[in-house]
Amino acid sequence: MPEVQLRLVRKVLVANRGEIAVRVIRAARESGLQSVAVFADCDRGARHMRMADEAWPLGGNAPGESYLRIDKIVDAARASGADAVHPGYGFLAENPEFADACESAGLTFIGPSATAIRRMGSKTAAREVAVACGVPVVPGTAAPIPADAPEADVLREADRIGYPLMLKAVAGGGGKGMRVVSRPEDLHGALRAARSEAQTAFGNGAVFVERRLARPRHIEIQLLGDRHGTVVPFVERECSVQRRHQKVLEESPSPSVDPTLRAAIAEAARKVAASVGYSNAGTIEFLLDEDGRFYFLEMNTRLQVEHPITEAVTGVDLVRWQFRLADGERLTLTTADTLVPRGHAIEARIYAEDPDTGFMPSPGRILHLRPPSGPGVRDDGGYDALGEVPIFYDSLVSKLIAWAETREQAVARLRRALAEYEIAGIRTTLPFFQWLLEDRHFLEGHVDTTFLDRTLASRNGQPFAMPTASAEEAAAIVAALQLNGAGPQAASRPVSAWTRGARLEALR
Amino acid sequence: MRVEIEVGGRVRVVAIEHRGKALVVSLDGIERVVEAAALGGHRWSLRFPDSGAQHAVVVTPGQEPGSVDLLVDGLSIPARLRPAGREAAKASGGSRGAGKVIAPMPGKVVKVLVTVGQQVTARQGVAVIEAMKMENELRAGRDGTVRDVLVAEGALVDAGAPLVVIE
Repeated sequence: MPEVQLRLVRKVLVANRGEIAVRVIRAARESGLQSVAVFADCDRGARHMRMADEAWPLGGNAPGESYLRIDKIVDAARASGADAVHPGYGFLAENPEFADACESAGLTFIGPSATAIRRMGSKTAAREVAVACGVPVVPGTAAPIPADAPEADVLREADRIGYPLMLKAVAGGGGKGMRVVSRPEDLHGALRAARSEAQTAFGNGAVFVERRLARPRHIEIQLLGDRHGTVVPFVERECSVQRRHQKVLEESPSPSVDPTLRAAIAEAARKVAASVGYSNAGTIEFLLDEDGRFYFLEMNTRLQVEHPITEAVTGVDLVRWQFRLADGERLTLTTADTLVPRGHAIEARIYAEDPDTGFMPSPGRILHLRPPSGPGVRDDGGYDALGEVPIFYDSLVSKLIAWAETREQAVARLRRALAEYEIAGIRTTLPFFQWLLEDRHFLEGHVDTTFLDRTLASRNGQPFAMPTASAEEAAAIVAALQLNGAGPQAASRPVSAWTRGARLEALR
Repeated sequence: MRVEIEVGGRVRVVAIEHRGKALVVSLDGIERVVEAAALGGHRWSLRFPDSGAQHAVVVTPGQEPGSVDLLVDGLSIPARLRPAGREAAKASGGSRGAGKVIAPMPGKVVKVLVTVGQQVTARQGVAVIEAMKMENELRAGRDGTVRDVLVAEGALVDAGAPLVVIE
């Protein structure tokens, strides 16, 4: 049937950068929409701005002077004649004032309503919603504890809830403002640290107290909602492989969730979202304990980094659906499409961090880049070869997703794709994943949120990459040829400045 | 031509000789014929004709002078040219003892934790650098007195920039 509906969205401004901006621009193009990029000074020439139909400068570099500036982004939308804004994730994606500012400027915000963002963005308010829906929550404080509340009050709450416990920023995310407290005598220091971090990161020092489950898994449910009251849940994602509360690898479905449990968690998530009239894409996170009981953790009112694994096992394009739902279309997906996984997908987050130096950031110019390809492989990258990974933003370079019929085959495929991935000029977490995919516990699917930090702590600093003897010999020979410009063909090429520099250094 | 190269933490002695059209490499005293092709754009292909083994190698400049980063079959291996001879080794050892705390990556100095004249002990934090939304504390490599603080809070620094000098 030809589409007769008057489309509200024709030209979309993408208020983000890096891989997620690239992802959204791709979906816009496939949906027949014009795309508008915005860029900070250091992103002049970045992949996302080169890909879009139009690009408008924000000026500045640090997020506070560029991608977090609501006024500049709304101005760029007006100047470009965009009629919609996609926030991506991070930056302004969960800022209700941004959603409001877009609506006031007559721009369609590709996401939930500002009201839903406000309600579900506060961790304590979101818990209340879950409780009202009869969905279990991890035992904890009902109301936020203000930044200036006396410590004695916090101690009393903590005693009531029991140790070990977690202190968490009410406005938190990404592991910031989060502390584990095992004993009452540690509360003082942990509270001070959590409040100060929360204040710096989110401008809000309020925290709340939650019991700490022993070895929980992190399970989350992707949702899509339309503006007509329908919310559809998707197959769960397992995100337990975390380093310091940051996800590094995700998979779908979870090795520990059977169809009965899946149906129960999905229905709980659907109920919570539907009860607040949630529309567009969102995700509800749960903790799953060792006995198979699950607890509501929080809701992310945006597209998630790890959305591609859900796309891989359901065949649904979540970003294209975001555009359609923002246009007022009705959801035509049913749980037969969304709750029955086809195959298995795993995502590895390739960060510009050096695993061999304790994951120290490694920004800089990418001198060589060859992403993997072939069957079942998807690379959602944010940079071009010779592109610069700036120091100002998060360190995600690319997401590598492998899909196959079974988990075992997906692991083998991801391993193959990692070996094909060539990035030079910066250090990345690629060698870390090559190591992780050989770990027995991971291969058996025995992971919880404490697994990775425990396993890394027991490694004693041996390097992650283990080249073969033959590869090391090749390295020594090519290094010798390069450093001396003595290769058969290198000899006839002009010697680059850095080679000369290296030789000079050697002569000292 | 004979060089000493530190590859993956191990010193290898490599000698390269052209014999007619063939390239003969002696690696730690063992001679082998190799075929090496520089393909441009940092890419090399190295082949051992006797076994047929082939390695795809990417060579890019390392952060320190005289060093290169190698990607062999997708695996990253750092390598460093070793200065030949005893005197050079001594000189290099001398410069290492200078007690400079160096920025390991580009970033913004968010905190300087020491002042000139202050006594510090090895592993004590001297500065905090922020890059990519992460804060990293840089520590003193040795006991001593802070002779110089070369950066101010808020400054942007490149990788390899000296931050603090300890005597």
